[in-house]
Order: sequence, then C-alpha cells, then structure tokens
Amino acid sequence: MRILIVDDSSTMRRIIGNVVQQLGVAKEDFDEAEDGVVAWKLFKDNNNYDVVLTDWNMPNMNGLELVKTIRGVDKTVPIVMITTEGGKGEVITALKAGVNNYIVKPFSAEILKEKLDGLVKG
Amino acid sequence: MSMSQEEIEALMNGSIPDMPDMSEDLSEESIEDISIEDSNDDDDINDILAGIEGIVDDDVDTSMDEENFEDILASIDDITVDDIEDEESVETKNQSDKYPLPVENENKVVNQLNEVAADSEQKASQIFDVLSFILDENNEIQNYNKQMSEFIESQIELLDSLSTKFPNINIFTENKEEAKKLVETSKELSSKVDGENNKVFEAMELMQYHDINRQKIERVMAVIRKLNSYLNGIFEDDSNGPEVQVAKHISGDDHDTVDADDIESLINEFSEQ
Repeated sequence: MRILIVDDSSTMRRIIGNVVQQLGVAKEDFDEAEDGVVAWKLFKDNNNYDVVLTDWNMPNMNGLELVKTIRGVDKTVPIVMITTEGGKGEVITALKAGVNNYIVKPFSAEILKEKLDGLVKG
Repeated sequence: MSMSQEEIEALMNGSIPDMPDMSEDLSEESIEDISIEDSNDDDDINDILAGIEGIVDDDVDTSMDEENFEDILASIDDITVDDIEDEESVETKNQSDKYPLPVENENKVVNQLNEVAADSEQKASQIFDVLSFILDENNEIQNYNKQMSEFIESQIELLDSLSTKFPNINIFTENKEEAKKLVETSKELSSKVDGENNKVFEAMELMQYHDINRQKIERVMAVIRKLNSYLNGIFEDDSNGPEVQVAKHISGDDHDTVDADDIESLINEFSEQ
C-alpha cells in the first residue's frame, strides 16, 4: 500500500508514519510532504498512492485546497483529513470538498488503524 | 465547539447529533464547592501544624522594631536601612527603564512567539529521535531474546531425551528444569519489553499535543497581527495637517502644575533677583 502523508509538522508526520508502519507498511512505501504544494507535486509525479492522509492548516497550499486539487483529477483515491479543526462546519466543508474520512487531533493509533482498514477494505 | 470522533462518525453516517452545552459543565454550585473545599484545606493545614508542634502563626515573633533591625545590620556589615532602600530604588528604576521594551526585532511579540514555536518543533523532533531509538533498541532486545529462547528450547529437548535415556543421571533432569525456568524468564522479559514499547507508542501519541499547542500559538500570533493592523488603522491620521505642539501641563493634571500662589511666589522670586 502506497501512502502520502501531508503535514507541516515534522513531528506529526513521524507520528502518523509510525502508526502506518505498525500497520505493516514499509518505510519506503510512504512519502511525506510538508505542505499542499509539495504533496500535489508528489501526487502528480507518482500517481500511485492508495491513500492520502492530509492536515488542514498548512502554509503555501492548505489541506482543503489540496483535496479539491486532487479531486479535480482523481475521484477515487481515498483521502483522510487529520487536523486540529474540530468544528462541525469544518467537517462538513471537508466532506463536501471530497475527503472520505476525518480525524481530529489528538487521535489514538487505533482510530487511524480503524479508518485505514475501513478505506482499504471498502 | 470541537467535535468528538463519535460525533464525526455520526456526521459521516448522515445524522448530526445534538451538541451539548458546555456552559452547563461549570455550574455556580460546582464552583462554590471548589472554593469551600479550598478554605477547608487551609483550616486543615493550620490544625495539623498546630497539632504537630504547637506552632500557630501568632506565636511567631514579628515584633522586631526598625531600630533593632538597623543595629543588627550595622553590626554585621555596616549596612543601614537607607542602603537597602537605595538598592530597591535602583532596582525599581532599572525595571522602569526596561519597560516598555524598545521596538527591536528580538522584542517583537510575534517574533518571540514564532521563535518559541520553531524551537519547540526542533526539540519535539529530538524527543521523537530518542523514542525511536528506544523502540529500535527494544526490537534488538526482542530479537536476541528470541534467539536465546530458541536455543534453550532446543537444549530442553536434548536434556529431555538424555534424562529419558539415562534416568539415573540426575544432572540431566535438574538442568532440564533450570532450562524450563529460563524459558519462562525469557517470556517475562519479552512481555516487559512489549509493555515498554506500548508506553513509548503512548508517549509518541501524546507528542501530538506539541502540534496542537503550536497551532494555538499560531492562533495567538494571528490575533496579534490582526490587532496590530486594526490599531494602526484606527489611530492613523490621514488629515495631513501640521503636527501641533501639545501642552505639557494643563490645569487639572495631577503633577507639576502650579496654582496662582505658586505663580505669584515665582514672580516675586524673580523680581528680587
């Protein structure tokens, strides 16, 4: 499974990467990006990701813009928003933009595992 | 208000749950309870202190008069109360010189907050390195432990067949029992390392609060920036008029103003000269 992890905090990327590794994904099977611009470039160039895990608030291009940009070319790749934005309005906005699932920080490894399992099986 | 994971799940499933009113959580009654408990605690502490050594605040002699104090100080180092007062006034002066701080890059609040956020990110990354190192080392320990356990298991099999073949030689049976104990120790070691790994994962999860707190700092920075822009706008003078010299002392000010008598006496003073 190829995963793209997008977050401006290097600590968060490592935390998410760690959970993903616990799920059995090898380190070389996931890529990291610190903002939407880098993520979009990786997505365009590789175009082989099975899941995109993205933060919302990031510099240059935020997570919501990234989701909309990806959805412009790919309607199927599962996208999970992992963010501190915990308002109902934000969740609805993200769902409308095309995310498949939404996780509010702080989250437990179990929650992420559950959501990823659901997406992969679904 | 922030949504819980369950509420998000419900939202995903199409139903929007009623959001509870957080203001109910802090009722006046509960606040009163807290303050009553606090005052009880203070009483308890006084009772305990009085009960243990018979110490009551009133017993402490605080009646040292200024004269005695001055004598003691003078006898030690020839220091007088005036010296101390002088030092205090110098300290106060230094404080008043310090604030408000000059508008320099290092004193700008947003810059300082930015520095805190960046420094904290760097340190969090270093903490993560340490935790990752512990996880890697624990994996090594588990591998060594597994190798040892496999070897001991093979020795148990060997000793088992030897003790069956030579039932009169006790050492085989005794060593087999010892080896079985070692296998149990190895299992215990493995479970302890697993427990430690779980704690490390827990610590890694808790490190998400670093990111959350960084975003809280960024929110404060955004408020300060907006406030700065608003204040600049509201105080802006776009009349293009010349700058008027302002009065330094106006009747009604608290300090440095003169009344009619002061003026008279000043005039007289000057006329005498």
